[in-house]
Amino acid sequence: MTLAIEHGSVTYRSQDQSMVQALADITLEIPERGLVVALGASGCGKTSLLNVMAGFQPLTSGSATFDGRPIAGPGRDRGVVFQKDTLYPWLNVRDNVAFGLRLQGWNSAARHTRAAELLDLVELGDFAAAAPHQLSGGMRQRVGLARALATDPKVLLMDEPFGALDSLTRETMQELLVEVWARTRKTIFFITHAIEEALFLGTEIVVMSPRPGRIVRRYRLDFVHRFAQGEDAAAVRSDPAFIALREEIRTLIHDTGRRRHERPQLDRAA
Amino acid sequence: MSDLSLIARREALQREAAPSVNVFALVRHLPIGLYSSLGLIAAWTLASEFQLAPALFLPSPITVLRQFAIVATDGFSNATLAQHAGTSLFRVLAAFAIAASIGIPLGLAMGINRWVRGVFDPPISFYWPIPPLAYLPLIIIWLGIGETAKIALITLAMLAPIVVSAQAGVRSVSVGRIQAALSLGATKRQVFLHVIARGALPEILTGLRIAIGAGWGTLVAAELVAATKGLGFMTLSAAQFLVTEVVFVGIFSIAALALTCLAAIRLLERLLTPWKGKD
Repeated sequence: MTLAIEHGSVTYRSQDQSMVQALADITLEIPERGLVVALGASGCGKTSLLNVMAGFQPLTSGSATFDGRPIAGPGRDRGVVFQKDTLYPWLNVRDNVAFGLRLQGWNSAARHTRAAELLDLVELGDFAAAAPHQLSGGMRQRVGLARALATDPKVLLMDEPFGALDSLTRETMQELLVEVWARTRKTIFFITHAIEEALFLGTEIVVMSPRPGRIVRRYRLDFVHRFAQGEDAAAVRSDPAFIALREEIRTLIHDTGRRRHERPQLDRAA
Repeated sequence: MSDLSLIARREALQREAAPSVNVFALVRHLPIGLYSSLGLIAAWTLASEFQLAPALFLPSPITVLRQFAIVATDGFSNATLAQHAGTSLFRVLAAFAIAASIGIPLGLAMGINRWVRGVFDPPISFYWPIPPLAYLPLIIIWLGIGETAKIALITLAMLAPIVVSAQAGVRSVSVGRIQAALSLGATKRQVFLHVIARGALPEILTGLRIAIGAGWGTLVAAELVAATKGLGFMTLSAAQFLVTEVVFVGIFSIAALALTCLAAIRLLERLLTPWKGKD
């Protein structure tokens, strides 16, 4: 057992002073070497959930633990890959990847060796000396992934990292991520609002619904294992079981969303 | 085959015949600012040529240029142009060094700590919009009429924009970049040094550029009282004797030095923050 949240709730006061419940009674465990995907429409609290795990945000009630110890703040054992590009524009690609190592006091030769390994892993070996602003969005997210892996965290937390990419780049990145996951054997918690992405990546999917953010359904999947063991990505994505599940989840998300919309109108009618 | 080679030969001939410097293309590609400047100088020349204003009020560009040479060699008010310029440059650069070494750390501290911000924000917001000429008398009462007072006045004019921009620079650093550093194991001190101070650099350089402008703008005020050297002093004393050519020489010298300083900071910006605007 690695990351666990038990009966976790997050409530905060919004700008108009009303109380907003971002997460309600979430119980979730990220098993070691799993690739757990949180899937849901925007506003369902998935980023809050990740922020709790990363230690950026505390729970209002409930417990969040990592290897049995309560999560008190951000730390090197939990690497984060962000939705927005958070590379440091004043550092080149290599120094961005090696940033965490520099903070730990690694000497520059060791940093360079380690950064080169990771850039090879994300297939950016030739771009070590480039500046971040010279790279495409997909390449920048790969640098972000390499940076998070450089310090060898036990868990990777990924907050819609491919959300801003075009659909072709996105699929390539998903395949790359699975390869990295299979090779490094990391535990990954991944957030997305794209159903196919969740199906392709997850060993487990938790479907969330908004206001308050809660888990409405959990799935255990093996599509990712099939791809990791050599099956063609296109074959996995077009498998009838894949497509059937995609439609099932789409309906599930739409229904939970619609119910939330209709309730105030019903209240008014009554 | 022969047709083809003929065509190729004719094209090659045409290429050679085309003038290597196309005057029209050159004229079109020179910066607009060059034409407007040339236009202004032409208007000035014509105005003095046709005596639109008496030569005492508006000397011709040629007269001013000649006066430049005279002030440079023989001097004016007991010092050569180079001595006046050197004195002024020293005052502005000394003030710049003091203002930057106080203003950058103070602005960064105000950006990260609400107590520091709370203490220093009111006095800085209060004095920034006051023209330096208005508090010059107070500075003379407090610091006398020596070099200290002159440098202090210029320093004060430069300090506020530097502090404000360094503070804005801290605020411009995205939460994501700070969170990324924290999750890579950075301590608070490392976040400040490696992320916040570096991330604030573009704004700080903008502040330094504004400060340089403000500093040269305050020079004449600083050299208003009890100066014996300096471009501001030279210009003021030339005005008292109605030597308008020297007034022009002083104005252009100040402009030239100020523009050089601005160009130096722009160069620094290009070297230190090449990502600016592309990020």
